[in-house]
Amino acid sequence: MGMLDGKAAFVTAAGGGIAGAIARRFGAEGAAVCCVDVVEETVAKTAADIEAAGGKAISKICNVADEEAVKKTVDDAASELGLLNVVVNAAATSEPLHTVANMPLEVWQDVLDVNLTGMFLVAKHAIPHMQAAGGGQFINISSTFGHIAWPQRPAYMATKGAVRQLSKSIALDFAEDNIRANSILPGAIETNRLLSRTPTMEQVREKMVPLHPIGRLGQPEDIANAAAFLASDESSFMTGSDVFVDGGFTAV
Amino acid sequence: MGRLDGKVAFVTAAGGAIAGATARLFGAEGAAVCCVDIVEDNVGQTASDINEAGGKAIAIPCDVTDDDAIKAAVDKTVSEFGKLDVCFNAAAYSEKRHRLAEMPLDMWKSVIDVNLTGMFIVARHVIPEMQKAGGGSIINVSSIYGVVGAKERPAYCAAKGGVRMLSKSIAVDYAEDKIRANSIMPGPIETPRLLVRNPSIEAVIERHGTRLHQKRLGKPEEIAQTALFLASDESSFTSGADMVVDAAYTAF
Repeated sequence: MGMLDGKAAFVTAAGGGIAGAIARRFGAEGAAVCCVDVVEETVAKTAADIEAAGGKAISKICNVADEEAVKKTVDDAASELGLLNVVVNAAATSEPLHTVANMPLEVWQDVLDVNLTGMFLVAKHAIPHMQAAGGGQFINISSTFGHIAWPQRPAYMATKGAVRQLSKSIALDFAEDNIRANSILPGAIETNRLLSRTPTMEQVREKMVPLHPIGRLGQPEDIANAAAFLASDESSFMTGSDVFVDGGFTAV
Repeated sequence: MGRLDGKVAFVTAAGGAIAGATARLFGAEGAAVCCVDIVEDNVGQTASDINEAGGKAIAIPCDVTDDDAIKAAVDKTVSEFGKLDVCFNAAAYSEKRHRLAEMPLDMWKSVIDVNLTGMFIVARHVIPEMQKAGGGSIINVSSIYGVVGAKERPAYCAAKGGVRMLSKSIAVDYAEDKIRANSIMPGPIETPRLLVRNPSIEAVIERHGTRLHQKRLGKPEEIAQTALFLASDESSFTSGADMVVDAAYTAF
């Protein structure tokens, strides 16, 4: 018996490290999973992993910043899975390093479109399906950088702060529909994305591990564990909460 | 297979509703549980509930402000069950309503003694055992009133704010010993304690009004589920975190 038996989940960025681990865990816990990403090969791989492990999954290509595409993808997912009552919003990008004063407006706008407006759009089109299903759970991936600052990433930080408040707004407005919404704030998680700014994982560890009192980088499975808890009925009195999974990063 | 198989838990206020539900859930998930409370009958009942359900538990009547007694209770737990690696600190009470200027110093001191110094005392005796066990998880029950203010409860609010930062301090200082420490902030939970200040549960729901977004109080079991997540290895990268379980009470 799985923690998520009978649920159907829509997971964005499911081809990536964190959301991929979440999708696989959800599948293993009995949820039917729609894996969504802009990159076809990686998202198909996540869905195939879930199926190979005996779970149920489909995969779809969708840019979360494109409203028409989001609506069609969400509606198709709900009709193919029979319902849709869990959403993991993990799609995100980050700008090349800039300060506010030297960041081109287009760079700012691109980050906001994906990281923030993308969540709005997925939520907007998923909520009617959750209402039809009698309730649901949103798990929105914010970041420790939605809580503390970091040099030269103004757009990323602004969006991750906004995600926390967007989750709370959904929590209030749709509580009466039995819809819950919570944010997860991961610390540095060992994924390929960390290598976009630093050449090797060894160098990432040298730089980031000392900032995490627990003495290691997080693993995607650490975030998947928190997401499974928030998607399950075990967290039935939690909504509008910020769940830090950061190895003590922001406790210092 | 339980989620806490092989673990030994020390639970304060285990005769009460929230910690009682937590102790029972820990027992059902395979942990051996030492139930501690100042009220002998209640704590004996919780321990016998666990034993009757096929778990392992002992009861120790004990005051968390009594350093020697807590040391003895911890020693007894270890001699009985072989080690100690989970601690759920819930012992607390609240002053009669007073604004600060009208509050007698003795009243302030006794709330701070139980709610804050009690957690310090329990932590200082369980930590050496957790070090011997190779790690552990400390779960301290704070409150939404450690996050937002409550009218005419200065000592309770101050103590619960203190609990949040005490947890983070433990998280940072003992990360190298693989000891994690987190706080839970419950919203209004349906327990007999609420009836000390209020004529009925309905009156509590009415008083909290629009802040109860699910139009109900939380259940002790909903705090227990969060405690289970924090006690288990699923939360291995979560330390120094504040788990708000309040149905968006403080998000509003």
